[in-house]
Amino acid sequence: MKRNPLTLVIGLLLIVVFGLLLFVFQVRQSEVAVVTTFGNPTRRITEPGAYLKWPWPIQKVWWFDQRVQNFEDRLTEGLTRDSFNLLTSVYVGWRVSDPAAFFPRFAGSAEPIAAAEALLDQWLSNAKTAVVGRHPLGDFLSTTDNGASFVNIEKEILDTIRSQLQTNNFGLEIRFLGIKRLLLPESVSQSVFDRMTSERKVLADRSQYEGEAEAQRIRSDAERKAAEVLADAQGQATAIKGQGEAEAAKSLKVFQQNPDLASFIFRLSALEDSLKERSTLIFDQHTPPFDLFRGVSTNLMTK
Amino acid sequence: MNDLNPPQDGPAEPALPPETPMDAGSQALAEALRSSFTIVKVVMVLLVLVFLSSGLFTVGPEQRAILLRFGKAQGQGEKALLLPGLHWSLPYPIHEHKLVSVGGLQQVSSTVGWYAQTPEQMLAGIEPPTGGTLNPIADGYVMTADDNIIHSRATLTYRITDPIRYVFSFLNASNTVQSLLDNALVHAAASFKVDDVLTRDVAGFQDEVRRRAMQLVEAQELGITVEQCAVQSVPPRQLKDAFASVLKAEVMRSKVLNEARSNENQVTNRAGADAESIINLAQSDRARLVSDVAAQAQRFEEILPQYQRHPGLFEQQRLTETLGRVLTNVQDKIFLTESPNGQAKQLRLLLNRELPKPKAEETKP
Repeated sequence: MKRNPLTLVIGLLLIVVFGLLLFVFQVRQSEVAVVTTFGNPTRRITEPGAYLKWPWPIQKVWWFDQRVQNFEDRLTEGLTRDSFNLLTSVYVGWRVSDPAAFFPRFAGSAEPIAAAEALLDQWLSNAKTAVVGRHPLGDFLSTTDNGASFVNIEKEILDTIRSQLQTNNFGLEIRFLGIKRLLLPESVSQSVFDRMTSERKVLADRSQYEGEAEAQRIRSDAERKAAEVLADAQGQATAIKGQGEAEAAKSLKVFQQNPDLASFIFRLSALEDSLKERSTLIFDQHTPPFDLFRGVSTNLMTK
Repeated sequence: MNDLNPPQDGPAEPALPPETPMDAGSQALAEALRSSFTIVKVVMVLLVLVFLSSGLFTVGPEQRAILLRFGKAQGQGEKALLLPGLHWSLPYPIHEHKLVSVGGLQQVSSTVGWYAQTPEQMLAGIEPPTGGTLNPIADGYVMTADDNIIHSRATLTYRITDPIRYVFSFLNASNTVQSLLDNALVHAAASFKVDDVLTRDVAGFQDEVRRRAMQLVEAQELGITVEQCAVQSVPPRQLKDAFASVLKAEVMRSKVLNEARSNENQVTNRAGADAESIINLAQSDRARLVSDVAAQAQRFEEILPQYQRHPGLFEQQRLTETLGRVLTNVQDKIFLTESPNGQAKQLRLLLNRELPKPKAEETKP
């Protein structure tokens, strides 16, 4: 039987593909890998690409996700330097940086990532207790330094963990760390509530008293201003009247020509003015024109 | 499918010419082999076709794709991204593609500072019942710079600007963003006083959360751009009344102040008006006085010559005339004559007497 060339090509292609699957493996951009030869890690691969290997069972490839994992540890309790009980929980961005170092520690477990996180959790717990104990509560909560000492605390925890990782080379790298929960034990939160309540009461009372005092001040201020305005007006009025009198005095010179006549005219006009309204007059016989009655016996009463 | 014909005919043609005598058994076997080979070939070709066409994929309108050759992204930055449309890649071990959604806004919420609330309650806006205390395991809260406890939650909206970093550097980037937002919230609260967070400087607090979240995001090069950051803060529900009373006192205070201010306006305005009228009065007094005196002076000048001619007569005439005029106005005129013995009579007057009230009206009914 003669072989058909196409069949040959396809057959060869399949063999090549099968061979590739056996001898070649790829590492994705998001992964790192370690190659074991009869169980011993012999090659570490941190760059993505295609690589050659001997087929199983001689060599075996272990891939690990090298992307940054976001791990959150559990809440742990720690005493601050000034004896406040603080509950803290942090998040950690970590990744597998050295598969060759990571592999022997964690590859044995079913889930290497979870095993690594369990270890981190334990270290974090110790590190937090140690670092929190070195700081007073005021380093966490303060308005003064724009949170710099809080940032410092996180950095100290991070440094503690990093130095621990350096001494035990587990192939892990911590990229970042931060406190995500900062709480008080339940019993303490109750006493904080009590304190807050009394603070609120003080504030409420204060704003009430301040309001009243301020209102009082505004009112008395207004009274004072009004009195000032009125007094000022009175002063002006007096001045104006004085000016009027001064002007009038110029005309008075005319009267000096004959003071007798002037005085007579003034008295006459005063008499006229004083009798304008309802009034009662009592005369005797000496007042003109009633002196005409003198000598006439009468008890005349005119109404 | 045209490829199929030559292989079918190929083996058949050379088999015919030799005319080699064959027994029926071997002929049947050859037939069977031939037909099974044909089937295998068809299957193989089909497999190849499937293999090749499996590389087709579409990128949606809000997506980008990253093509990996042997696990490595092709190109850097924007060049590595495949735009929406139909694309073809070589099959798995050689090429691989990863879809990333970039369009639209991503959103994460930080609830570490909020009381325990199920997602259903949150959607419906229902508040869970208030316990007496805060259980740190379940209830979240943040602590302020003046050691107070408040609830605060933040929502961060962002856009993926560098999908390669977002996808290939972080296992679960949105979780990381959330953690960073949690941290920003805890930090911001720790440097703000409770009244600033809740009332006095709400915007400042929000800006601080946003500022720190952006700073953390940039430091880790998450490949995202923060679009928006909204923060909501409330006092602990256990202390609602206490916080409300402060608010009420402040409202009362401004009410009292407003009243005082309106009173102030009233008083000063009235004083101003009064002052004006006092001055006006003075001015009219002055005008009157001046014109009066001027008029009198003029009259004086007119009558002076008459007076100088006969002073006694003039005076007498004027007095009598004036009295006559004045007396018509006077209501009561009483004339006392001298008693015969030359002594003045006594007259007793009751001044300011009041009219006796008509008693009849009271007793009549």
